[in-house]
Amino acid sequence: MITTVTLNPALDITLELDRFIPDKYLAVEKVSRIPGGKGINISKAIKAYGLDTMALGFLGGHAGHFIAEQLREYGITTNFWHIEEETRTNIIIVEHQNRTHTLMSDPGPKITKKDLERFKSIFSRVMSQSKIVALSGSLPTDVPDDIYYQLIDLARQKKVGTILDASGIPFEKGLEAKPLLAKPDLRASNNRVLNKSVDSQETAIKVAHEIVNRGIQIAVISYQDTKDVIATSEQVWLAESGDQKVVNIIGTSEAMIAGFAIKLVEEENPDMKGVIQFAMACGLASALTEEEEFTTKDDIIQCLPCIKVTRLK
Amino acid sequence: MKIKDIMLRNTTSVLPDCHLEEVIEVMAVQRINGIPVVDDEQRVVGFISHHDIIKSLLPNYLGIINSNSFITEFIQLSKKLKEYANHKVDEFMKRNIITINEEDNEVMAADLLIRHKIHHLPVVRNGYLVGVVTMRDLLKAMIEKEEDQNNEQEETQ
Repeated sequence: MITTVTLNPALDITLELDRFIPDKYLAVEKVSRIPGGKGINISKAIKAYGLDTMALGFLGGHAGHFIAEQLREYGITTNFWHIEEETRTNIIIVEHQNRTHTLMSDPGPKITKKDLERFKSIFSRVMSQSKIVALSGSLPTDVPDDIYYQLIDLARQKKVGTILDASGIPFEKGLEAKPLLAKPDLRASNNRVLNKSVDSQETAIKVAHEIVNRGIQIAVISYQDTKDVIATSEQVWLAESGDQKVVNIIGTSEAMIAGFAIKLVEEENPDMKGVIQFAMACGLASALTEEEEFTTKDDIIQCLPCIKVTRLK
Repeated sequence: MKIKDIMLRNTTSVLPDCHLEEVIEVMAVQRINGIPVVDDEQRVVGFISHHDIIKSLLPNYLGIINSNSFITEFIQLSKKLKEYANHKVDEFMKRNIITINEEDNEVMAADLLIRHKIHHLPVVRNGYLVGVVTMRDLLKAMIEKEEDQNNEQEETQ
């Protein structure tokens, strides 16, 4: 089973209307309520592909119950620690006339030391059922910035492979625990990681090398929406998905992580080129599918020929 | 229908050394009446419900709940709860519990629930907890199956 961790999930409420006018009563044309958070999105992509997945993290209040119930409806197993405060809500206003997307995010709940201890106990227990665990996203307030380091260490003790997909100090501290695969979330860090700005293929390769040199087996750097550099200790690859009719960018990077997790679980000695192509196809299939819908195995297979994977070293 | 298609995919559980106070809190927050007890590898070792807790603290309470003396006994129950708040789940949980495999079917689940007069069946895969199934889940699945069959019949006519 592939386990995912979302420490700071959110309920994404999208309100679509023709035009947003302040100080007016406005009728909303369409409302959608979707469980959000990087780990949750990874679980959704894994389940849509047809594999079992379990989602862990913190949930609280009505928003928390809604998220857990929705995930179970999707067929995802949940084992969240429920906290006292309400899970955060993101309000997204989509204005058709001006083609704007405005996101308002609340700061999120407080996590106590007791909550954190209980969560670590759950995490440690479910490792016995997991082959890979993906640790993704931002941290709620009061969670120590070495939490990913601690969780990767716990997973290693149970011989479970780890994928780290985060940004900033939690990502850099997490690297010290040597996850199996690491992907900095460059969107969340203004394209900066390890004190470097990633703005070209060259800088992406440099950063990928630096991550691999720290003992991580696979480094993935998404330096452009359609281009990724993937490095191992012996190989460097460039993956491109080309110009496609993208309809949704939410969850694309998570679908790619799901793709890596799926291949690493399904194949004992995976061929790196095949793994990269599959992971990129998962990301592309998600980008070509509306957010409320799920990509299927067939969508992914159809996207495979659109992915160009070139070995650079 | 396989159990894995109808079970509640919630693997919230507690360890045997969890305090009574905490398990009551977890059940309240999760809005559930009972919870599987697992070992440190998520293998099911017991089950604890509100019923088990009350029965252990005041064995006669559930019998007199409809009589006039339930108020005085209620005060007694409240005192007992405070007294035992830090006692471990291990003292109160049911052991040797009935579980069902996720590959089994709904008829077997219904049989186990009725025959053993229980409300929850922990669902396992290789002994590890993967969900819970209750009579409510079975009824929901049966009614949905019925609706699906009716829709299929209408479509073929």
